[in-house]
Amino acid sequence: MAGILVYALHYEGAFNKNSLGAVAEAAKLAGELGTEAHAIVVGEGIADDLAAQLGGYGAAKVFKVEAPEGLAQPVVDAMAKVMTDNGHDYALFGGGLLGFEIGAGLAARLGAGVTMEVTNVTVQDGRLVAERPILGDSAISESRYKGVGIIIGRLNAFEVPASTGASAPVETVAVELSPWSTKAKLVKRGEQRGADVDIEGADILVAGGRGLGKAEGFEQLQELADAFGGNSAVAATRAVVDAGWYPYAAQIGQTGKTVAPKLYLAAGISGAIQHKVGMQSSENIVAINKDANAPIFEFADLGIVGDLNKIVPKLIEAVKAKKGS
Amino acid sequence: MAGRNGAVAPGAYPPPVDSPNEFIKRQLDPEDERIEVGVAIVGGGTAGLATANRLLQLLADDPETLERLGEVPVAVIEKAKVCGGHNLSGAVVRPGPLQELYPEYTREQWREAGWAFGEVTKEAVYMTPTGKVALRIPTPPPFKNHGNEVISVSALARWQQQLAEEGGAYVLTETSATQLLVEDGVVRGVRTGDKGRGKDGEPLGNFEPGTDVTAQHTVLAEGCWGTLTGAAIREFDLAEGREPQVWELGVKEVWKVPKPLDRLIHTIGPWPLRISAKYGQIGGTWIYPMKNAKGEDLVSIGFVVDLEYADATTSAHDLLQQFKQHPLVRKILEGGERIAWGAKALPGGGYWSMPKLTMPGALLVGDSAGMVDTVALKGVHHCIKSGILAGEAIYAALKRGSTDLSAYEDAVEESSIGKELWQVRNTRQPFQKGFLRGGPGVNLQIATKGKLPGRKEWHRNDAKPMFIGSTAKGYPKPDGKYTFDKLSSVFITGNATRDDAPNHIRVRQNVPREVAETWRWMCPAGVYEIPEDAPEHGNVDVIVNYTNCVQCGAITAKGGRLTPPEGGDGPLYQIT
Repeated sequence: MAGILVYALHYEGAFNKNSLGAVAEAAKLAGELGTEAHAIVVGEGIADDLAAQLGGYGAAKVFKVEAPEGLAQPVVDAMAKVMTDNGHDYALFGGGLLGFEIGAGLAARLGAGVTMEVTNVTVQDGRLVAERPILGDSAISESRYKGVGIIIGRLNAFEVPASTGASAPVETVAVELSPWSTKAKLVKRGEQRGADVDIEGADILVAGGRGLGKAEGFEQLQELADAFGGNSAVAATRAVVDAGWYPYAAQIGQTGKTVAPKLYLAAGISGAIQHKVGMQSSENIVAINKDANAPIFEFADLGIVGDLNKIVPKLIEAVKAKKGS
Repeated sequence: MAGRNGAVAPGAYPPPVDSPNEFIKRQLDPEDERIEVGVAIVGGGTAGLATANRLLQLLADDPETLERLGEVPVAVIEKAKVCGGHNLSGAVVRPGPLQELYPEYTREQWREAGWAFGEVTKEAVYMTPTGKVALRIPTPPPFKNHGNEVISVSALARWQQQLAEEGGAYVLTETSATQLLVEDGVVRGVRTGDKGRGKDGEPLGNFEPGTDVTAQHTVLAEGCWGTLTGAAIREFDLAEGREPQVWELGVKEVWKVPKPLDRLIHTIGPWPLRISAKYGQIGGTWIYPMKNAKGEDLVSIGFVVDLEYADATTSAHDLLQQFKQHPLVRKILEGGERIAWGAKALPGGGYWSMPKLTMPGALLVGDSAGMVDTVALKGVHHCIKSGILAGEAIYAALKRGSTDLSAYEDAVEESSIGKELWQVRNTRQPFQKGFLRGGPGVNLQIATKGKLPGRKEWHRNDAKPMFIGSTAKGYPKPDGKYTFDKLSSVFITGNATRDDAPNHIRVRQNVPREVAETWRWMCPAGVYEIPEDAPEHGNVDVIVNYTNCVQCGAITAKGGRLTPPEGGDGPLYQIT
């Protein structure tokens, strides 16, 4: 049976947000293709009821494979077997470095076509077409596949709906690992370049640019993010990272991270296109800038022209008051 | 030195560069660590690749000589992601040298290959006395382009790369050449740049050191402002007895337009420039029709400004945006869409500024040698022709087993390059006195086709004192549809310079505001910023956003220096 197989990455009993988005996207596409979306989980001692939760995002079935966690090669072995046995036409990944590595290995193993950093997938003439921004996001290229197609999303490309609460049947598959797949061991998990906040997963981002005037300006942004509480974090532009005011891990934009929080509050950010491409999918964009001509006001949902040193403290007070009430 | 808008020359604030010491390596790495090639060509632009193409044509019929060049007979070292990635020109070319080099291809095939866009059949030259009026004038002889071809040098270089690779060249893209190898007074090759260094030069996880690439002959085809060319000129005194080089800066856009443009257009101002001696602005524009192989109508439009100007707020990018406001341009572009942008400096000194072209073990071709006729706005055909002559001279030397390339020097002088550049050798110098005072002298030179004897001098662009004028007041506010700011323009070049790469731009800090403003406005890519809290008068520091850099090279004309960045950085031009 043809279909789409999605790799669902999990860590400490929870699925990765981008994987859930990919499952939901696959379910939508499978509907249009008249086929099914399946998910695969690979790891050590995964509980069936955890795997079954993927049904809530649209997986018709979940394959569970017992293999070492956090490494690409065991997943390549597992996905190659499941796809060959079940005749899946496509594999879909939510993104991330592990997704890139698995996808590339799987493409080599299956002789499949592979497209990375995909931002949109459509159905045309009964086949999937992947869209990938190229040339620094200035143009879109489309990939079609002659045989099996492997599509790896850009982080946050696929929206994550709320779970329907449905659960999917779980099928345990025994996979014989290739000799080289067991050679590597996961020794330690660490964040890339010392990131201590998950800005890609945050619901509210308070981002600062050169308009803050000095590195200390980030203190009030942190205070504002703390006031919002919940899943909030502070982010930064390339200019201020360059100036050494804030760590690279929090950089948004063309050469930084791509984010899509529910609220993106841009303080002292002019909104050059190089920044815009990293945050334009945010649900609500609020901009504070003293220059009324700043490009950010052209795509902000709410723009405030004024001195952020006066506005931000008031905002902190207001948010605190609202939260307190 | 920095008074209230008191004129200061950028040349008084030279960049922290120690050339040739920095760019010449005199001790070669041990033999087993080097890469040995036959002929090393630095720069995969039109001139370097023409050299490769011609040389490989000759070697194809001579297996014996080819054999002597070893495993890698010809290596082309290109810093862009692909050849052509950093190339930009108008460009309307005289077809002769291209037909001579590629006799088996027709002009129709050039167009199918995607780098040529049609023969010029109609043309017009306009004066623009104001932002509203355009007066057609009889086409001055240097502007006659009938029968020439509109091309993209970026696309041409990509095609030449393909031919070179088919002919057996090794094209090392994403590789900078950072040092000239010189041993016992002979050029022995080049050293490629390190990759994977951090901001402070520290090796990162993906660090790869450069390599000494040794060659029997080295061709410097770096284009305008080659770092190694500059070092070679000093090392071997190649500019002795010549005039200093002077420079111009061009900013170009390519538009997809709703209806075809039926003629090739040049405008010679004065609007939007200020031609008074005080402002010292000289420049002009082009608007060229292009029809691509898909039948779509495109237009190449560009603004070129002489870097001799005195108003620090002169910005070629913004002048182009301002020029687009003219009704003459609006009726061509409106309803269309901008598909490309780019910027490049070009050498403008011509004949008297050309350095000696050869040194032991190496030679110069194309823009590296200053082979541009800035009266006719033409250099591509000279690039190709010099490549042909260089290829032939190197082949002859290889055949003789000699390292003497001086025959190339005479061949260039006697060719169309020498003849055409001689004719206009004194034409533009009078403009250094200002457009109005110099104009009659320029016209006299054009009318007499260089028959007047003598030699007119150039003075250095960075010796021109700068003041903060009001040119910037005329620039339109970008609307993001018809007029654009610098950063969104850089964005569509596909520029992808690593954020944590070392800074490849050298400028002094703590400079008079006039100098800082000159850099800020001149740079088409928005590299230089003056902090908001900097003092209004006196000296300021400059923020250098070097990751925006599109490597146009203009900064070198006004007191800074562009040095080779890490290979693969910078723009990825496709159709400029």
